[in-house]
Amino acid sequence: MMASSLLDKTVAILRRDLLTSIRYRSAFILVVAGAMLELAAFYYLAKAIGPSFRPEGFDYFSFLVVGTGFYTFLVMGIHSFLQTVQEAQQNGTFEVLMTTATPAPVVLFLSAMSAFSRNIAQMILYLGVGLLWFNRTLPKPNLVASILVFSLSLMIAAAVGMLAAALQVTTQKGSAVLWALGSGAWLLTGTLFPVANLPPPLRLVARLIPITPALDAMRLAVLQRASVLALRQQIATVAAFSLVLLPLSLLVFSSSVRWARQEGTLSNY
Amino acid sequence: MDAIVFKSVSKVFRHRRALFYWRGKERAEPTFALRDICLRVAAGSVAALLGPNGSGKTTLLRLISTMLLPDLGEVLVHCADTRRDPQTVRTLVGFAVAGERSFFPRLTARENLDFFAALDNVHPRVRPERIEILLARTGLLDASDSLVMHFSAGMYQKLAIARALMKRPAVILLDEPTRSLDPVATTDVWDLFRELCADGTTLVIASHNFEEVATVADSVVVLQRGEVKIHERTTGFKVQDVRKLYFRTGRDSSTSDADCLLESCR
Repeated sequence: MMASSLLDKTVAILRRDLLTSIRYRSAFILVVAGAMLELAAFYYLAKAIGPSFRPEGFDYFSFLVVGTGFYTFLVMGIHSFLQTVQEAQQNGTFEVLMTTATPAPVVLFLSAMSAFSRNIAQMILYLGVGLLWFNRTLPKPNLVASILVFSLSLMIAAAVGMLAAALQVTTQKGSAVLWALGSGAWLLTGTLFPVANLPPPLRLVARLIPITPALDAMRLAVLQRASVLALRQQIATVAAFSLVLLPLSLLVFSSSVRWARQEGTLSNY
Repeated sequence: MDAIVFKSVSKVFRHRRALFYWRGKERAEPTFALRDICLRVAAGSVAALLGPNGSGKTTLLRLISTMLLPDLGEVLVHCADTRRDPQTVRTLVGFAVAGERSFFPRLTARENLDFFAALDNVHPRVRPERIEILLARTGLLDASDSLVMHFSAGMYQKLAIARALMKRPAVILLDEPTRSLDPVATTDVWDLFRELCADGTTLVIASHNFEEVATVADSVVVLQRGEVKIHERTTGFKVQDVRKLYFRTGRDSSTSDADCLLESCR
């Protein structure tokens, strides 16, 4: 596919999503209000627990803000793939989208990337307000390490999202599975408390979830200015996960669409 | 040259049972939508698909569009196999889907057309002019900047036709294209079909309207229970001739009484 054509499609999808978002007038305000209330709850929770509780050497509020902000970003990113398919199935555009001249994985990927860009804005707002306004500390992250961890995490979110979308195409109930997995990941990935507090068998499961090393590395890069060298173990783990998951997810999604064409369930929801 | 070729195509829909299916008592037997279809549609001609509800007309169109893949046999569009080379087929085929729910409700008609045209590789330089022409041809120019969520059924249908024509496809599939249109719009759309055909575009139209078939079709395919019962050239046919042809197959038990009553009133 030519680069100019891909750019044209990206612009078309971004434009569609932007126009749709601004025409749902109240949604943006509600999302921002929800995030602010969550930050306030974490602030008072951390205050109630007291300054002596310092998980992995961080103050608890910063630990929570970076953990939940980044975790929410990744889960929302994964969900955006599923949501792209789900919404298209529900508004009847899925079959039409899958029979345009653009290959199915490209349509899905570009649509989800559009949602990702919205999530990035939300995450920056969340982290910014959380760390600057509530905590009154100016973080000095290691930018290179943060961007590297962020990019690799993005690839993992895209791969898992593609798998979730495949699940939605085949079962039409992908959100139920994603909700169950999301709740499990929330418990196991060290979003609210360190993984070290889990019993040994669950710690083992936590290591098998790619979000765990990504969250760990992100906290260290943002709050402790850890370098790429210091984070090499986490970065290698996240990179290995993305190398395996990305091609696998592309294959699974393409197969799921082909299966749905064969079964005649492409438009089911 | 043949634009569309069906080689012994069969399509079955399997119904998977629910977890506690005995409570719902839903059907679990497979539906044989198409059986051993052999069909050729010449390039630059208009083929009309007639048949009672559930006879396989839409399934046939969906197989050409690659929305569905055949269980047995091959579907070729300008020699490209829908199974082995679906991307080529998608560049050749435009499909005006009958359903209204195939647009983004919070985009305008113009924005919807622009979006789908981008995905169909229509160059951004030619899009605005082409959109303008098609909106005018389909009578949607006045409503071009309205959100499509406010559209009537007929307006959705016109927009679906405009979308199918955006990429100037070699083959256009139309599922009951004039079902919700008023008489003036219907006549305009038939004129448009004849123009497209004169330009060498192949049209396949699924219809229940004998007048439409008599006006625009070069050949008629009558389907019954997923089988081709009649495939005849109909150039010069009158409405009465099409009606006779249709009822020559005998009244299928799957033909709804309402359909027959409607036809006898026409």
